[in-house]
Amino acid sequence: MDVEVRVFGGLESLIPGARFGQGIPLEVQEGCSVGLLLNRLAIPREKVFTMLVNGCHVTADAILKEGDRISLFPAIGGG
Amino acid sequence: MLTEKQRARYERQIILDEIGEEGQQRLASGKVLVIGAGGLGSVSALYMAAGGVGTIGIVDDQVVELSNLQRQILHNTDRIGTLKTTSAKLTLSALNPDISINTYNVRLDEENATQIISGYDIVVSALDNQETRYVVNSACVSLRKPLVEGAVRGFSGLLMTILPGKGPCYCCIFPKSSCDSYLTGLIGPIPVFTTTPGIIGILQAQEVFKLLLKTGTPLVKEMLVYDGLTSSFYHQEVKRMPGCSCCGLLN
Repeated sequence: MDVEVRVFGGLESLIPGARFGQGIPLEVQEGCSVGLLLNRLAIPREKVFTMLVNGCHVTADAILKEGDRISLFPAIGGG
Repeated sequence: MLTEKQRARYERQIILDEIGEEGQQRLASGKVLVIGAGGLGSVSALYMAAGGVGTIGIVDDQVVELSNLQRQILHNTDRIGTLKTTSAKLTLSALNPDISINTYNVRLDEENATQIISGYDIVVSALDNQETRYVVNSACVSLRKPLVEGAVRGFSGLLMTILPGKGPCYCCIFPKSSCDSYLTGLIGPIPVFTTTPGIIGILQAQEVFKLLLKTGTPLVKEMLVYDGLTSSFYHQEVKRMPGCSCCGLLN
């Protein structure tokens, strides 16, 4: 099934060719979790502060569905 | 009724259809609390003062340090060692003596947050730590106060406007439970490029102006994500979390 990933806040440097805000289309297997997706993208779990799927916060064990839009953010908490 | 001096001071925005004298008077009646007189707070407070927000509260418990001056433009070299709230009041009052500046030389916590925030219409979160963000979010949700949340790191920034019950709160997007373990691994000062808080801080002021003037479209249900290296913005859809520990019971 097809999903789309966006990465922000410097996580772009972890994915070859990734650009801020641009969707990365990916084909994943049924039952794939967000955590497995991070493994596939070789993004260390500890680098991701929050994960959103279709705008909703999820945990790493959330199972993805066809058409899901995943957004990954590192900690951005300064002021 | 605006005075002649006020008409002169705010002339350039009063002539905008969206503002007019009525809008300017709305700004003059507005009370906004800025929590943090650092990088974000400096810029948001400066522009709110310049634009005529009638009452600005500033909360900060720190003193000005040399390393602040690279981005905290409310302060200057002569004020190293001075309380940030004192420094902020001096700068803002010199820019616009027409407005009231209230200062709170405290660290906001669960004991004092509700009492301080209750005196204001809108809160600007210009914080540098997650712990206080959760306190502020909780107080704003319980008081149903609009909260303009901003954050920066390096060349990256985030901005969202929280209207409790109408869109996601901070905990809907960054729940405390999943943040705790992540944050204990972070040490050292947060790296911030000079312009990043300037850009996000001005946008926080812009959100305040939209709310006070009841014009434009505040960033509710969307988080603005900024990247300084590509000069890009992305509007990230954000939704309320069902059963959110903070705002889940609000309609």
